[in-house]
Amino acid sequence: MFRNRSLPLAALLPVVLLAGCAAPTAAQDSPTAPDAAAAVTVDNCGTEVVFESAPERVLTVKSTSTEMLLALGLGDRIVGTAFQDGPLPDHLAEAGADLASVSDKLPSAEAVLGLEPDLVYSGWESTFTPEAAGAREELQSLGIATYVSPAACKAPEHQPDELTWDHVFAEITEVGDIFEVPDAAAELVEEQADEIAAIEPDERGLTALWYSSGTATPYVGAGIGNPQLILETVGLTNIAGDVADTWTSYSWEAVAAADPDVIVLVDSSWNSAQQKKDLLASDPVTANLTAVRAGRYLVVPFAASEAGVRSAEAAADLSRQLADLDLGDR
Amino acid sequence: MTAPDRTLRVLGRPALLDGIRGSRLTLTGVGALLLVLLAASVAAAVTIGPADIRVSEVWRSIAAHLGLGVSPLSPLRDGIVWELRLPRILTAAAVGAGLALAGVVMQALTRNSLADPYLLGLSSGASLGAVAVVLLGVGVLLPVAAFAGAMAALVATLALARAGGALTPARTVLAGVAVSSLAGAVTSLVIFWTATGDSYREILGWLLGSLAGARWPAVAVAGGALLAVGIPLLLVARILDAFAFGDTSAAALGVPVSAVRWTLLGATALLTGALVSVSGSIGFVGLVLPHAVRLVTGPGHRALLPLAALSGAVFLVWADTAARSLFDPRELPVGVVTAILGAPVFALLLIRRRERS
Repeated sequence: MFRNRSLPLAALLPVVLLAGCAAPTAAQDSPTAPDAAAAVTVDNCGTEVVFESAPERVLTVKSTSTEMLLALGLGDRIVGTAFQDGPLPDHLAEAGADLASVSDKLPSAEAVLGLEPDLVYSGWESTFTPEAAGAREELQSLGIATYVSPAACKAPEHQPDELTWDHVFAEITEVGDIFEVPDAAAELVEEQADEIAAIEPDERGLTALWYSSGTATPYVGAGIGNPQLILETVGLTNIAGDVADTWTSYSWEAVAAADPDVIVLVDSSWNSAQQKKDLLASDPVTANLTAVRAGRYLVVPFAASEAGVRSAEAAADLSRQLADLDLGDR
Repeated sequence: MTAPDRTLRVLGRPALLDGIRGSRLTLTGVGALLLVLLAASVAAAVTIGPADIRVSEVWRSIAAHLGLGVSPLSPLRDGIVWELRLPRILTAAAVGAGLALAGVVMQALTRNSLADPYLLGLSSGASLGAVAVVLLGVGVLLPVAAFAGAMAALVATLALARAGGALTPARTVLAGVAVSSLAGAVTSLVIFWTATGDSYREILGWLLGSLAGARWPAVAVAGGALLAVGIPLLLVARILDAFAFGDTSAAALGVPVSAVRWTLLGATALLTGALVSVSGSIGFVGLVLPHAVRLVTGPGHRALLPLAALSGAVFLVWADTAARSLFDPRELPVGVVTAILGAPVFALLLIRRRERS
């Protein structure tokens, strides 16, 4: 069924590519008579996206995009959510209580089009493939703008290397511009900058493993993404920090060799922190890790483990957990 | 003696050591050499890895577990050697030996030089069985489910190949492609249906083959299958030789063709199922190693079976060592390594076949 869908879309492609060179032409086709001065143009992971006016009907894919809009007070613009990573944090739960989930996984292109959104905002770039929600060009040719959390850009020339708080705040500012709520964005950035500034990095010189998932082959936070940013902020040295990637497949032998002082466990409904603790305690090798023997775990919710509006609170929370850790006679 | 010449035409080019092919000297000599090489490979591979542990400490740690002396390492570092590296290497050796044996047996029984557990769909079927247990919680033991999947795939491949007429090599391989595509698709469906968040990553090991999770229980399963099924297979060399001349000749030599063929094919499915349940589907070992060994020993199975098994063990030990240390501290699925090495050899085999026909 999907093939039938994608063929006509693909046939439109050349037209789109030609039109894409001249943004004003596309603007004249837009039904919402645009105010040329208000148009916001962004370079998003290398794709130029023009917003003639603030989007009104947004499909959010992944939790980071949903939470960003809620945090900016834009919950009424969300017509549907998809592929959410977990429950909303307490302070956003009320604002997001009425959101409708379109799909537990990646939505298909047809499910996306059926919602008639004017923007699809995703926390993962891989959402925008013909096999998933549709290629960005396809969607854009149908009048649907696309936006990826810039921290999740994968192409080397667009991926933040390495991610800083400025990158995180820049997304808030950019989304504020797109939705024409720059004041709310500025306020949120200031709030988060204060939250970061208040964190006192741990000074005990501790090393950490950011354990996301995996059993035989652990999948861990590496050197240039959100895990690294948060670990650095709270004063922990990432044992996988020399791998130039956001997350990476790692090996238990490398973990055992580094023997981290603490382990950050990513908690999700499908792979809970408790499951990981049980696994670490039951394996004859990892059971001997210092952090496992002493039970030195920090827990971060999956939805907060990816860069976005929850990164700051995740860092503050981990910092508190870390300060509460009693290292005994270390 | 005309029979050996006939065998050669059936099974491949004249061997390098044609003059002494099949002689006890070759078998014992090359066998002893490979045994030493395998022991040396295990001893060397166990010293390689992301953790910086001195060679002497590694060996003293292993000796301590064998009751000689005291381990110089902390419990954690001792665990790296005894609980991570050694069982993984031994599993690699058992899986490599078993897959190579299964390849030899399948090539002889189907008189198809391109037969192996991977190409004929057994590995994919076994993976499907294993994934069904792991993800869907089907209540049987993992190796049993993998065996059932391997057996079902084997029967489907051979039935499909025979449905269109005689069991020709080309038809058998095509049927294997069809069956393994289907099993792979259903495996992907199960993964797609059940995997949430980023847990799909864990399942890649079944499709690509990985020994990253191999601990002592894996050694028991793979080693046990090798001893229980592989060793008896070493004793059927004469029967396999008889099959090389064709079913009619084999029957004339007193072999109950159909019963023996299905018993032995069932044994390879059992072996493959057990191996795949610990390693996922690792390709090309069963295909490439028998051919490489045949170049040296010629087609006689008395030498081919044990030597292919030993070379398969050495090959997979090193392939997996490369997989876990080449991009340290990241790991590659070992199936990627065997495919990169094996696919070109497979291509060579195809070219050679065309030259001959």
